[in-house]
Amino acid sequence: MSQDSQTIKTAHQIVMQKGEMYVGWSTKEDVRKRGGSGGLVTSMLAAALEKKLVDAVVVLKKMNEFEAVPIITSDVNEVLNSAGSLHSVPSNFAKLIANRNLKVALPAKGCDVRGIIEQGKRNAINLDNTFIVGLNCGGSMHPVVTREMLEVMYKIKPEDVHGEEIEKGKLIFETKDGKEHAITIDELEEKGYGRRESCRYCTIKIPNNADIACGNWGVTGDLAGKATFVEITSEKGAKLLQNAIDAGYIQVQKPDEKGVAARSKIKGVMEGLGKKWKDKVFVPMDNRLEYFRKELENCIDCGACKAVCPTCSCGDVSKCTEFHFRGDAYRMSMYHLVRFLHLADSCIGCGQCADVCPVDIPLTRLYRRFANPVQEQLKYEPGMDMRKPPFFEAKLEV
Amino acid sequence: MNAYSTICPGCNFGCGLYIRENGTIDLDFRKSSPANAGKLCRFGMSLPRLYKPVKSMVEGKETTPEEAAKEAARRISASKGSVAFLSLGNTTCEEVLAFQKLAVPYLCTGANFDALPKDVYLTLSVGIPYTEIEAAKHIVLFIDPYEQYPLTVRRLLSAKKKGAKITSVWWKDLPLADENIRPADISKLQLTKDSLVISDFHPLSDAEQVKSVLSLAKNAGAKVTFLKPFANSTGAYVLSKDAKQKSFAQLVEDINKGTVKTLFCLESDPSTLIPSETLSKLTNLIIQTGHASAGTAKANVVIAHEPLYRKKGTLINNEGRGQALGGAGTNGLEALGIIAGTKFEFDSLHDAVKKALGIQAVDEFLIPKYDRPAYGAIQAAAKPPEAKTTLVSVYNPFMWFGLPDDNDFVELNLNTVRALKLLKGGTLKIKSNGSTIEKKFKVAPVQDNILLTGNRFGIEKGSITPVEISR
Ligand SMILES: Cc1cc2nc3c(=O)[nH]c(=O)nc-3n(C[C@H](O)[C@H](O)[C@H](O)COP(=O)(O)OP(=O)(O)OC[C@H]3O[C@@H](n4cnc5c(N)ncnc54)[C@H](O)[C@@H]3O)c2cc1C
Ligand code: SF4
Ligand code: SF4
Ligand code: SF4
Ligand code: SF4
Repeated sequence: MSQDSQTIKTAHQIVMQKGEMYVGWSTKEDVRKRGGSGGLVTSMLAAALEKKLVDAVVVLKKMNEFEAVPIITSDVNEVLNSAGSLHSVPSNFAKLIANRNLKVALPAKGCDVRGIIEQGKRNAINLDNTFIVGLNCGGSMHPVVTREMLEVMYKIKPEDVHGEEIEKGKLIFETKDGKEHAITIDELEEKGYGRRESCRYCTIKIPNNADIACGNWGVTGDLAGKATFVEITSEKGAKLLQNAIDAGYIQVQKPDEKGVAARSKIKGVMEGLGKKWKDKVFVPMDNRLEYFRKELENCIDCGACKAVCPTCSCGDVSKCTEFHFRGDAYRMSMYHLVRFLHLADSCIGCGQCADVCPVDIPLTRLYRRFANPVQEQLKYEPGMDMRKPPFFEAKLEV
Repeated sequence: MNAYSTICPGCNFGCGLYIRENGTIDLDFRKSSPANAGKLCRFGMSLPRLYKPVKSMVEGKETTPEEAAKEAARRISASKGSVAFLSLGNTTCEEVLAFQKLAVPYLCTGANFDALPKDVYLTLSVGIPYTEIEAAKHIVLFIDPYEQYPLTVRRLLSAKKKGAKITSVWWKDLPLADENIRPADISKLQLTKDSLVISDFHPLSDAEQVKSVLSLAKNAGAKVTFLKPFANSTGAYVLSKDAKQKSFAQLVEDINKGTVKTLFCLESDPSTLIPSETLSKLTNLIIQTGHASAGTAKANVVIAHEPLYRKKGTLINNEGRGQALGGAGTNGLEALGIIAGTKFEFDSLHDAVKKALGIQAVDEFLIPKYDRPAYGAIQAAAKPPEAKTTLVSVYNPFMWFGLPDDNDFVELNLNTVRALKLLKGGTLKIKSNGSTIEKKFKVAPVQDNILLTGNRFGIEKGSITPVEISR
């Protein structure tokens, strides 16, 4: 298709293919309004359900501006109601759909996608039946931190917030009185607010590992903020988009070159920033053993870090728990030692473990201390493709 | 897929979470919950195990909740004068108010307020906001936060980061404490008006110990806060302030004496608190609850209603924070209505709860103001145990709920291991009142001659049991 055709195409004129890029939006006005940038993702998910491409969809059921709970639903209306980006909902969907044998479509930030792919490698998710709608992701925030940030930095009441967006490096909150309040993310993060630590050094900004990658980067001109930029990255992605067009749920057009270039530039800048953060957080240290022992001494053995880890697919019986008994008096528990090693090649740095640790151990930082050198040396990035985890592949020849 | 925004019943910390139902139960982290930022302790993570479905039963025969409630009503009226009503604080404020109407002849919230001065009632009932823990300069712990109220740990660590000094008065050194004082050396404790004392208050608390903590705080002008073990302990106590209550100790005595023959329990498993010899003296044990427990297996009548997470209603956490449960269920109130011979309307009970708290709406982000009036001087006579070796039971959520945990061992120190020539990986014999048990042990920085356990072994006599130990 030619770049000059800025008009809306009908279903018959377009045959979606892997590698193509579009800008699109929902045909439903309310979804478009509530959507993060045009409601395309929501409409695509709803169309997949309605046209029986899938049996179920994962959505975030919104509780308030700062809270939502992921659920699996087969109700098209529930899907349509879920439109909108919640930057203060740092959930991960991989474990939710694991071991359920679903034919499912779901939105997915980079870390969701990586978790899902890793679960796929471990046969806990059938990737052929999973339609992954990737979302570009500049980062998510912990809701408790966000509320405090609103009060301390923005001097606004969390209850007065109506919406929020990220633009040109600024985090902007809109209050119910229609006013906008903006502060640069750099300033927020310097003061300990802003994105979760793992998001700061996360380097997957456009999830090309999903079936289709969606975001607002690259949407220019009048459409900015009102449309979603999509890149089709697999056959399944093409099917999803085509299905939504055919069902009359979305409209698309070709992006302009400026948009494509801008998107790629922002991606580069964000990745660079991620690398900078990584160097800042992971400074070399002496006496690693004492550092780990000290960080872990408050562990109360709740097991949440394992339960929530999107790449771990061990059930109740697993190496880390079988070698561990609460009556052991080791200076550092076997549970953690086994997990650090077991996840060295698989940790995707999603930050879930640190989020849920009841004694605030900066777990992701600890896991990444093991994972960074291993994954760099082995040139292996878990969750980015279907390569098996290197440690997994070290099998005896028979 | 149903998802409920709810509160963990494991203790009165008030940790928010989601429970999802889809054939099985699983949980998710409610990260915006102000009490816990979505984080859960070992018990919170075990909730799918706690919420075992329960069926309505009369003498072992399955029936409907309505029939079970009618049968309960018959038995209660037949044993008029010898009925006691127990609700420990595991249910909503609205049910607490309905329950009070039913329980006029013999209300027991499981606390022993009788043994304590009247003017400490509210100090014991409502704690301080957790942000005040984080802002304290000096914190004195009379609990093991890791075992007993785990979500306190992060508040303590946050206080420490801001420069607080933490003193622990406990049988074991705690990793987060800057100073560890053994309970017997309490005279070494230095309190000032900048100190915050954290202790706990529960059905098995030693009244003299509670008085001693209150008096230490009073004499130094220090702040004091008591943590409590049930999801709505604060609500149950605050709302029962002006009601005529019997103490828990009295209830046990009355069952033993035979003056209480029928015990009605609302969302409370008496088998975790009352010795089985005592319980077996009852003619009627009636339990109304939302999940199965050891108690429901023993009860003559079980009235099954929704589990807590499916209920509608209000809980009040240890800070006094009102928290709305995310369910819609009110069949607990319906059953209470059948027993009381009336109909309880949720809305009017809810209004009464708001009125009692002086609030317009339940908002988990706002803590209502509570009176915690100054109390008078207290004489305390806490006695250190006399026996050479003692087994100390460290009450924790698993024990209050009778839920099994990976804790079949005792903690003791290296001196004890050496003195008894215990073998690594081996066991220890513990003798008390003629029975002997054999347990694995864990070496920990525990006081000499003390064994700590977070489990119930069946040989205990209260929280401190004199024992003899050998290899
Ligand atoms: C945390 C986060 C950060 C983002 N950062 C960027 C960015 O920096 N640059 C960029 O180009 N795009 C970013 N996006 C994507 C962008 O905000 C839009 O989601 C995307 O453009 C699709 O818009 P839409 O209107 O088509 O989606 P909608 O129709 O609004 O659908 C959004 C879908 O995402 C789901 N969702 C909402 N919040 C989350 C969440 N926290 N986790 C998982 N799923 C969620 C919803 O349930 C819904 O299904 C981010 C999205 C999220 C969730
Ligand atoms: S870890 Fe990466 S993909 Fe996941 S929320 Fe953070 S920035 Fe987004
Ligand atoms: S170890 Fe932590 S950061 Fe790494 S994948 Fe698991 S939950 Fe995510
Ligand atoms: S989440 Fe934290 S407390 Fe729980 S097991 Fe993991 S490290 Fe320990
Ligand atoms: S038991 Fe107490 S501390 Fe643990 S999760 Fe439940 S409410 Fe929180």
